[in-house]
This record gives sequence, structure tokens and C-alpha cells, in this order.
Amino acid sequence: MPIRIFHTEGFRIAAIFVAIFALSVAILAVVTLEVVDQELRGQIVQFAAADIGSVKDGYRTEGEEEAREVIGQRLATPGASDFFLLQRGVSTKLAGNMPPMAPRTGTFPLPYPGGAAGRTILGVGAFIAPDLYVFSGSDLRSAQMARQRILRTLIWVSAGALALALLGGLIVSRSFLRRADEIATTCRAIMAGKLASRIPVRGTEDELDRLSETINAMLDRIAALMDNLKQITNDIAHDLRTPVTHLRHRLERARDQSGSVEDYDQALEAAIGASDDILALFGALLRIAQIEGGARRAAFAPLDLSSLLAQLGDVFGPVAEDARHHLSLSLNGPAIVSGDRELLTQAFSNLIENAILHTPAGTIVTISLCRENDDAVVTVSDDGPGVPPGEHQKLFQRFYRLEASRTRPGYGLGLALVAAIGELHEARTTIHQTDGKGFSISLQLPFASQTS
Amino acid sequence: MKILLIEDDPETADHICHALRAHGHDVEEKRTGPQGLDSARGGQYAALIVDRMLPDLDGLSLVRQLRSEGLQTPVLFLTTMTGIDDRVAGLNAGADDYLAKPFALAELVARINAITRRGEPGPPVILRAADLEMDLIRRAVHRGGKPVDLQPQEFRLLEYMLRNLGRVVTRSMLLENVWDLHFDPRTNIVETHMSRLRTKMDRGYERELIHTIRGNGYILRAD
Repeated sequence: MPIRIFHTEGFRIAAIFVAIFALSVAILAVVTLEVVDQELRGQIVQFAAADIGSVKDGYRTEGEEEAREVIGQRLATPGASDFFLLQRGVSTKLAGNMPPMAPRTGTFPLPYPGGAAGRTILGVGAFIAPDLYVFSGSDLRSAQMARQRILRTLIWVSAGALALALLGGLIVSRSFLRRADEIATTCRAIMAGKLASRIPVRGTEDELDRLSETINAMLDRIAALMDNLKQITNDIAHDLRTPVTHLRHRLERARDQSGSVEDYDQALEAAIGASDDILALFGALLRIAQIEGGARRAAFAPLDLSSLLAQLGDVFGPVAEDARHHLSLSLNGPAIVSGDRELLTQAFSNLIENAILHTPAGTIVTISLCRENDDAVVTVSDDGPGVPPGEHQKLFQRFYRLEASRTRPGYGLGLALVAAIGELHEARTTIHQTDGKGFSISLQLPFASQTS
Repeated sequence: MKILLIEDDPETADHICHALRAHGHDVEEKRTGPQGLDSARGGQYAALIVDRMLPDLDGLSLVRQLRSEGLQTPVLFLTTMTGIDDRVAGLNAGADDYLAKPFALAELVARINAITRRGEPGPPVILRAADLEMDLIRRAVHRGGKPVDLQPQEFRLLEYMLRNLGRVVTRSMLLENVWDLHFDPRTNIVETHMSRLRTKMDRGYERELIHTIRGNGYILRAD
């Protein structure tokens, strides 16, 4: 853990912040120390200048004796300068606590009298009379000590802050690591076959929570697809058995009972027909799978539903008539949607064929197109006996067939295909039924974006 | 007719060859894409039958290559996939027609016959068969000099039959080319429309022009 933690993003971010913080503290320290130093030196020089002024005043008004007096007083006063020298000529000391020295005017540093190592006096020297030199100054040690105190305080404060920042970084990283571990553990559990595992979500709405939610949603989608796949596999296993078994029976019968070449011919014809049916069933399943895969969306183009339905009306009108049904159209002007013409044609054809094939003679089948907000709604309805309401949702499942229609040819894939095509087009597929009589299925397709 | 078959599966190839030879065609076989491409470039074929999945060079690229070299030989594309995308991709690459495996041999023969006709001179304005006449500009049909009143769907159906005069057209060829339906309907669309058309332009005439080929399709014969 202590090694891993240094590699986490949280820790890296914390470390970067700590470094930035340390750098700013260092800059702050340098600037502060410089300012404090300047201030203290300025103060020393100011005192020294003031003291020299006092000595000069004393000398002017009352002479040399008074100047000495003033120096004596000043040396005894706390808060004034620490060092004084009143000197005549180049070597005659008149007053003060310093040895005589070569007169030098202006502000300058001076080695500590007696040669204490590293200590310096800062002061001001001036002539108060042509032959009378005065120096006044203070030990720089007080300034140096103030500087050290400030430096020490800064170091302690920064050390504390750095420690806090590091600790914070570690805590954040540990929590990050723990949650990353949770995700990894969940993924491993799923890989090991516990497909229902999901990453715990804390409800804090943070980035990791959102990531976990997204991953969970992805897992749900995969699970749904796998269920679907399992369902299809089962369906295929079950529903293909029947036609293949029938085919086998036919061939067996032909072998055992055919007496003439004609009988064989007939049996072969029937067997070819049966295998065609099985192949058609496979084709339909593959087509549904392909459409559900969603790869067809690339072929979408704007198309007019109204003209497409009018064409289907022309194609199926005579077919309905021959089946003693009536097909009527109610189209209200063009409706441009973005879609796959071939697939939509098949979906609507399936609905129309269902309405013709699964209702009694005399039924009126209506194809209508209307607008609802931003959608075009295509409805295929009939006034036949309808479908028991309990069966509605199952209608779109693969291989689902109403009891009543089991004797008719077909495999119950038509509406599953309609549902798949509808979903590909982001259409809402709905079933309406007014009690007892009449049945309709609507596909609600969004208009193509350039027209809405 | 000399036909080049490019198909890697020996059983399918054998099956196809057999059927085409039985119909009097001369078939040459190639097993891989590059071999097929070489033969197609060199030989004078009436048509090519190209499988979608081929070793070394797939059928789609092969057709695209041939078309880019300016070779106009009609191509029938074969595939095991029922995918609609494949059909569109095949036609876009330059194939003339498309057939998904498994298919009935009669279907293959009918389609080969239909696409090899494409080299003939440009589309006529008037289509004729015996005493039947279709004026494509005025959208009018006459039989024995008397006008026949056809619905638009019936007109298109008859036009397609006339354009394929003397050749068998299958149910799915009609569905695809007349009604643009690329699936197998459960209702009798073809039979219904065909029956209406025949009632109007064929029934009651001394000689019927459209004949049903049982289990296969229809043919319009002028003789």
C-alpha cells in the first residue's frame, strides 16, 4: 500500500500542490526577511542621525562639555543608539564607549570594537565642528535576531502546512485507491462468472460515482444483450426443431412408402420446399440480429413516408381485394423522415400483411399517416376481432404466435422484425385496441432534422 | 455463352457449373480472387459470377478493380450473407445483380440470362411481342390494335416482362425490380398482380403470351 499509493493520481496531485505551496512559502520568506532587514537597518540609521543631531545641538548652544553630557545621557537611555564616539582630530577621544578611529562620514557598517566575531555596528559619522567628529550607531545583532525569529516561525508554519497537505493527499489517494479497487474487484468478479455484480455507488455524484454508474449501465446493457442472445439461442433450438423434424419425417416417409418415381418426385419437391422454409427462417433471424446490431444506420437517408405508403397501397391493394379485404389509405401530404427505405418498406409490409392474413374476410385495413408534434405516425389498423390484451406485449417477441394462428404458415418473426426496425429508427411502436373490435399498430418516427 | 465462375467452395462451384452447363453455357472455374481477376481480364466472357468471400482478394475488391480497368462484362454477385448491406455494397462496386446463397439454380440461370442482355443497343421507345405493343413515351399498351387499360403497377410489370422477352423471370426478380421489395412476402403479391395483368392483356386472346413456369417463374413469349 505505501508504495502503491505514490502512484495514484490523488497523491500525485497532492504532491504537486505541496511543491507549489513550498515554493510560495520560500518566496514569501525571502521577501519578508528582506523587508524586515531594510526596516530595522533604517531604524538604526534614523536613531543614529537623531542622536548626532542632539550632540550637535548641545555643542552649538553650550559647547564641548554639553556635547559630552548629551552622549553620556544617551548611552544611559534605553532605546537610543548603543555606541557613541566624540573625537577631536584623528585620535583624541573626548567621550563615548568606543576606541578612537579614522573619521569617516555618512552611513556605514563598522566591526564590533574588541573584535567579537560576526558582530557588526551600523551607524552614522559626521563632523559637528571642523575638528570635532561624532559617530553614533547600534549593534546589528538585534536585527539579525529578529530575522532569525521570523525565519524560524515561517519554517515551523510551513512544515505544519506541508504535513497537513501530505496527509490530505494520502487520505484522498487512499480513498481513490479503495474505490479503484472496488471497480477492479467487481470486474474480476464478473470475469469469474458473477455476471450480476455491480460497482457500489455512494450517491455522492462525484467523478468516480459517475464513472461507476456509467460502467454499471454498460454492464446492464451487456447483460440485457446476453439475455437476449440466450433467449434467441433457446428460441432457435426450440423452433428450428419443429421444421427440421417435419423435414425428416417427410424424407423417412418417402423412403419407406414411395412406390413410384412420381411419389419420389413429389416427396423431393416437398423436402426442398421444407428446407427452403428453414433457410428462410434462418434468413429472417439473421436479418433481425443484423438490424438489432444497428449497423444499418449508416445507410439512412431522407425519405417521404407518404410516397412510400402510397406505393405499398398500390402493391397490397389488389392483394387485399383478392383476400376479400378492403385496403384504404389516409395520407396527409409528405412527411420526410430519415431512415432506411428498404427496412421501413419491409416493416410496413409486415404490418399490412399481418392485417390481411390474420383477420376474417370483409375486414377493412387502413394505412394512415399523421403528424404528432415532431413525429410522423404511421398506423396500420383493422376492424377485425383484435388480439387478447394480455398478449399485446408478447407480440413483438421472436417466435411468438397467437394460438389462433398456429395452424397458419409463418414463424412468428414478422413483428419481431418490425420492432427491431422501429428501434433502429428510434421509433415508438405502440399497439392500440378498442374493446373487442379493431386492432392497430403505430410506428412513431421523428421527422428528419432539416424539416423540424 | 461463356461464363467465368469465381467461387472457392468446390461443392457450390460444382453445383453451379452443372446447372449452367445443363443450360448450354460454357463455364470456366477459378478458385481464388487473383486467378479470377487474371482470367476475367484476359478472356472474353459473357458474364462473371463472383463470390463475395474469396481467398487472397475478396469479390467486392475484384469487381471494383475490374470496373476501374474499364471492363464492362456483366457481373452476378454471390454471397452467403443475407445482409442487405452486402447487396448494396456489391451493386455499388459495379455488380449488375446479386444473389444470396442458398439459391435455387433456376433463379441463378434466370438472373444470368437477364444480365447478359445488357450489352444490347439502347432502350427502345416501343416494346413489342407478337401483336402486343407498349409505347413507353405515351405510356400506352395495345394488343391487336385495341388499347389495353393498365394500372401503373401492371404497366411496370408488363414492361419488365417485355424487356425480358423470351427469358424466364423469377418471383424474386419481379419483386425486386418491379416493386422494389427486397424480402419474401407472405402474401401473393406477384400472383395477384400477374393475374390482373393477364386478365387485361392476355386472357381471351387467341394466343397467350405470358406463361407460368411451375415452381420457377414466368415467361413472356412472342412465338
